[in-house]
Amino acid sequence: MSNPTSSRCAACKYLRRRCPQDCICSPYFPSNDPQRFAYVHKIYGASNVGKLLQQLPERARFEAVESLYYEALCRIQDPVYGCAGIVSWLQQQIHDVESEIAKTRAEITVFLNSNISISELNTQHPQTDDMGMENLSNKHKGPL
Amino acid sequence: MGGNSPCASCKLLRRRCTKDCIFAPYFPSDDPHRFAIVHKVFGASNVSKMLQELPVHQRVDAVNSLVYEANARVRDPVYGCVGAISYLQNQVAQLQMQLAVAQAEILCIQVQQEPVIMPTSSQLAATIDGTDEKSAFLLHNNLPAQYLNFASSSNVTHESLKRESFFGHDMVS
Repeated sequence: MSNPTSSRCAACKYLRRRCPQDCICSPYFPSNDPQRFAYVHKIYGASNVGKLLQQLPERARFEAVESLYYEALCRIQDPVYGCAGIVSWLQQQIHDVESEIAKTRAEITVFLNSNISISELNTQHPQTDDMGMENLSNKHKGPL
Repeated sequence: MGGNSPCASCKLLRRRCTKDCIFAPYFPSDDPHRFAIVHKVFGASNVSKMLQELPVHQRVDAVNSLVYEANARVRDPVYGCVGAISYLQNQVAQLQMQLAVAQAEILCIQVQQEPVIMPTSSQLAATIDGTDEKSAFLLHNNLPAQYLNFASSSNVTHESLKRESFFGHDMVS
């Protein structure tokens, strides 16, 4: 028994076929969003999508279709690099931020070392003014 | 690749490998797995159409990225490449937090090291109140401990994603 023509899923509508009650695509490609299946079909093909879904437990299929749709969208927008381009860009981001962190931490070390030197100097040779307060003025700054 | 030895795709598809085979430059016969995995995920027909729509000088990169995505999908049939993207985005966010903490720490140290100019006794007599200045100075030093000892955890199984560039590397283990 198949779904009436009016309630065929987007996949069966696109492929112009009957939509059976147990259509594997129908839960994930509703008829009100034809573009979703169109994109996925363009990149992966209906047959591959069906095979992929059949290999997965039912609870995982929705997420799988979501990711397929996302990847298909990326590939259509960027036919050369697709999703892999985003991965590459993120890897570069990680590298850049890690470098920045390393540089900043090195600066912190320099600051701390120069701070310790000044503190030691003040401890050995405290200077006081008329008010009896320690002179905390320091014009020496360590290298950056 | 002409009549001598069919490319990996024509071998798998069991057809004659012509001189102008669109797959031949990108799927050499010595690496059958490369085409097999792309064919499994995308299908030869779809790959052929995608390549035909691209100028020749972009096809190498396109094929490399398709191989990468196909490998990712085989390794993770549910999330594929999107899983990697999600993981890397999380890594970027964590690292940016670490950077923010480190930069805040530098600011704090810089404030500490700024010369505190002590007024002379005559200047002190002319000023209104010095205690507000000291309070502001102390405030900058009271950073919560969690910022100074921030550490991120990382998923060991995904560490390779941070370093490995997909160009020239196959994801297949």
